[in-house]
Amino acid sequence: MLPISTDTTLPDRRKKRIKDAYLRQVLDGQASLLFDGAMGTMLQARGLAAGELPELLCLSDPEVVTEIHAQYVAAGSQVVTTNTFGANRHKLGGSASVEDVFQAAIACARASQAQYVAADIGPTGALLEPLGSLSFDEAYDLFAEQVQAAHAHGADLIIIETMTDLVEAKAAVLAAKEHSDLPIFATMTFEDTGRTLLGTTPQVAALTLQALGVDALGVNCSLGPEALTPLVKDMLAVTFCPFIVQANAGLPQVVDGETVFTLKPQDYAAAVAPMVDAGVGIVGGCCGTNPEYLALLAEELKDRTPKERTVERGFSITGTQEAVVLRNNDVAVIGERINPTGKKKLQEALRTNNTDYVVSEALAQVEARAEILDVNAGLPDINEAAMLLELVKRIQAAVGVPLQIDSSDPQAIEAAVRAYAGKPLINSVNGKQESLASILPIAAHYGCAVVGLTLDEGGIPPTAQERLAIARRIVEAAEGAGIPREDVAIDCLVMSAATNQNEVPQILEAVRLIKSELGVRTVLGVSNISFGLPARPLMNANFLAAAFSAGLDMPILNPLARSYTEVVDTWRVICGQDTNSQDYIARYANYELAAEQAHAQAQQAAGVDTQAAETQETSLKDLVIKGERARAVECTKALLQTTSALDIINEQLVPALDTVGEKFEAGTFFLPQLMTSAEAAKAAFDAIREQTPSISADKGPIALATVKGDIHDIGKNIVKMLLENYGYKVIDLGRDVEPQTIVDKALEHGCKVVGLSALMTTTVKNMEETVRLLHEQAPDIKVMVGGAVLSQAYADTMGADFYAKDATMSARFAEDLS
Amino acid sequence: MGTQLLGTVHINREKHAVDRGEALRYMGMSDGGESQEVDDALRQRIEDSFTHCEECSTPAWTYRVFPLQETDEGLALVGTVLVLTGDDIRTHLHGAKYCAVMAATCGLANERELQIQSAKGTVEALAFDAAGSALAETTASACNAAIVEDAHEQGLFCNWRYSPGYGDLPLSLQPQILRILEAEKLLGITTTPAHLMVPTKSVTALVGLFDQPQEQRKSCQGCSLFQECTLRTKGHTCYQ
Repeated sequence: MLPISTDTTLPDRRKKRIKDAYLRQVLDGQASLLFDGAMGTMLQARGLAAGELPELLCLSDPEVVTEIHAQYVAAGSQVVTTNTFGANRHKLGGSASVEDVFQAAIACARASQAQYVAADIGPTGALLEPLGSLSFDEAYDLFAEQVQAAHAHGADLIIIETMTDLVEAKAAVLAAKEHSDLPIFATMTFEDTGRTLLGTTPQVAALTLQALGVDALGVNCSLGPEALTPLVKDMLAVTFCPFIVQANAGLPQVVDGETVFTLKPQDYAAAVAPMVDAGVGIVGGCCGTNPEYLALLAEELKDRTPKERTVERGFSITGTQEAVVLRNNDVAVIGERINPTGKKKLQEALRTNNTDYVVSEALAQVEARAEILDVNAGLPDINEAAMLLELVKRIQAAVGVPLQIDSSDPQAIEAAVRAYAGKPLINSVNGKQESLASILPIAAHYGCAVVGLTLDEGGIPPTAQERLAIARRIVEAAEGAGIPREDVAIDCLVMSAATNQNEVPQILEAVRLIKSELGVRTVLGVSNISFGLPARPLMNANFLAAAFSAGLDMPILNPLARSYTEVVDTWRVICGQDTNSQDYIARYANYELAAEQAHAQAQQAAGVDTQAAETQETSLKDLVIKGERARAVECTKALLQTTSALDIINEQLVPALDTVGEKFEAGTFFLPQLMTSAEAAKAAFDAIREQTPSISADKGPIALATVKGDIHDIGKNIVKMLLENYGYKVIDLGRDVEPQTIVDKALEHGCKVVGLSALMTTTVKNMEETVRLLHEQAPDIKVMVGGAVLSQAYADTMGADFYAKDATMSARFAEDLS
Repeated sequence: MGTQLLGTVHINREKHAVDRGEALRYMGMSDGGESQEVDDALRQRIEDSFTHCEECSTPAWTYRVFPLQETDEGLALVGTVLVLTGDDIRTHLHGAKYCAVMAATCGLANERELQIQSAKGTVEALAFDAAGSALAETTASACNAAIVEDAHEQGLFCNWRYSPGYGDLPLSLQPQILRILEAEKLLGITTTPAHLMVPTKSVTALVGLFDQPQEQRKSCQGCSLFQECTLRTKGHTCYQ
């Protein structure tokens, strides 16, 4: 579902259904509000069995539930929370319908005479992709069903709580936004490490939930009030949303064989008080609290209005774990490498679904200190929306930094930002009416920051003033669409100095004007400056310095290029971001020495070259067998001076791999040695392809997948590397793949062979099913199977064409077929 | 039976070291690679991955003990919704007064890093994976040891831990076991539709508590992989 680019009718959240004037005051930050305390603790005290679904009591024993609500109301709670924390289709598992539970639960809450009834929505109980197997859309559907039930049966507000996964929280908030006009409260829960179980910081949580447009946000559960206080202060510093805290009654401890919480009611209320003083206006309790605690909190809140907070507004975006928040003269580097334009290897990776390669590019850039990664999947012959979404998912599983979603296709952008974990940066909108009309509503709905390009129907204007005029139109249109000004960054579009030399000063002037007149942040794709000129790194680095000086905030560049990082590191000292030059000193204290070392290493490498050239005839094969990656690459490069690529492959690399395979079978090599050899061979192949791009993987293609239900894929990945070394194009379909999807993809890519892997006995039946479908729908495709629990007999029973006992056998089978 | 054992949620988050020998065994290097052509560079890469695994992991375990009751449906854990069906678990818990339900994990940070490593398909992926498996076993053993100690204080004796997936004890019990332990909230363990646990480096198990000393050793008898097991044909076992 893409509600914005497909024009679905959404509830008008500007006319929120707010029950009464008091609740409106709360949401305006003008009045405080008291929630209730624990439900689970109270039900356990009444004999709830371990593992029993407490939500079912709303149907089987509503009086007990109502009585607990009523106790909280008597203690002074203005809001009671329905007993629906786990009432989703996944957790109920068919024991009752979501609608029935919500209807009964809301009735129980209403019967307590509470002023407000909050419909409670907790986590799904399943982990979302890519770490888990629940898809974003599946999670969204589970939440949407709950929201619809809550809305239909008369809840006053929705509280999404105890979230540990940012993307799951986002799915729940979107479900609430898109199926209801009720106020949305959302809280996440943090461990004593100061992060959620999945590594999200409080700051990231606050910025993301605020951008999504929740009406109140905060923290609950896991820790006691004292431990939560520093986390709450971190969040208060970046959000102007009304803030909610529901702390546990300390940590659980065992006393006389009973699990009890350590904080007594008086101590609990005393520990909550400083947070109220700091600006928390909405308070309740969590695990271990009971009406006694809430009565004391009611005293604490009595006659108090929330403290007014001043929050500095500024550019901010978030990833799964890290936020980029620009203050004062701060700059942030956007890594440009995940963009297929002009990058053959990345293009090939996207075409063969090799997302692992893209992930490695992401990791390398973060390692090189990129703070934001641009992600672009625009290739004419692939489904950009699907690929961009897949890349975002895979990259976010590996790196915690924010991403810049780079596309000109509104549907691709919406698909990617919808399932994105955090608050992304969209690249880009421009001054054209069509672009403003299609992109800005997406950014507004999903709470994204956006890059605005200074071009319109008339193209890119040559002067600074004209660029400023377009920028002004973009910022005004963004504000009109409900996007705060600070969430817009303007790209003044760098032209080549070789072709548009007169414009270069205008670009720098435009950056200066846009910052001073519009007060927004700026972006530039730096390397465009040197198109058509020699010694590009030199030109790029000096232009970058000039652009920083003009006020550039976020350069888009290759973070692996040292000439750039040197400029960035020095600029951070000049602009004051690197306080006391700490980072600079740490990195460059031995700068000259480092340069000399580099020189010495270069000389040494040259020596290796000569040496390698002398012994190349015999050594590449040996180096691969020994798994010496770096030396294998050097040797390959030297060999390429005198020998054809094909000869190197056929006379050195393939025989090396065969020898390794033989040693493996003989038991003198084990898996680790097999893998180091395969890595060395892969590195050698890469060196050959770099120099001789016409040498590509031309055998196959072969599709590989770990079957449905199975989430182990190391074995499959080893097979993949080995097959690639033998020159096969491998289509990696990933893990936990539906049988029909495997058939469809194999046919789509014209595969001759499909390899299936399963590690668990329980998933072998899915392997059988996949083999059956393949034989039925694609009788020409040969199927090989492998995995820890398989045997020749098993493979025969399921009708597989080949049983690969290990990775080398799979390569042999493929060779025999071709 | 005192109240000390029953009704209590035991939680522990101590760090553990990766058992190098065990991890190397999982990698097919049962003698630590002594007899194989493993050079120092490779040895170092493997060791670095083991250390990396220790740094990335947040081991944790929890258990609770419940009285056992034979019913027509199966073995009921009193005070829970769990009823154990199947012949093998009945045999395993035959005569037990109580049953400890336990879960142990290497944590979600380990899982995240495992997937990053796995995508690379390198030796590090293999070593990290093996290290995680070894660490999960060590964490589970630490939990098991705590159960044995508690039982001992009450004058009771334990048998070895039995996990869903062994014999005819179905994996589909996994969600219920995790719910009884509140393992999602306490340890971050969830299940997939195929009842596999995420983090994958997690263990759940049942331990019987008896009045009389029990056979402590696990055996290959009753293992569902008895026929296919490559370790067994080589004369090894998957347990110590």
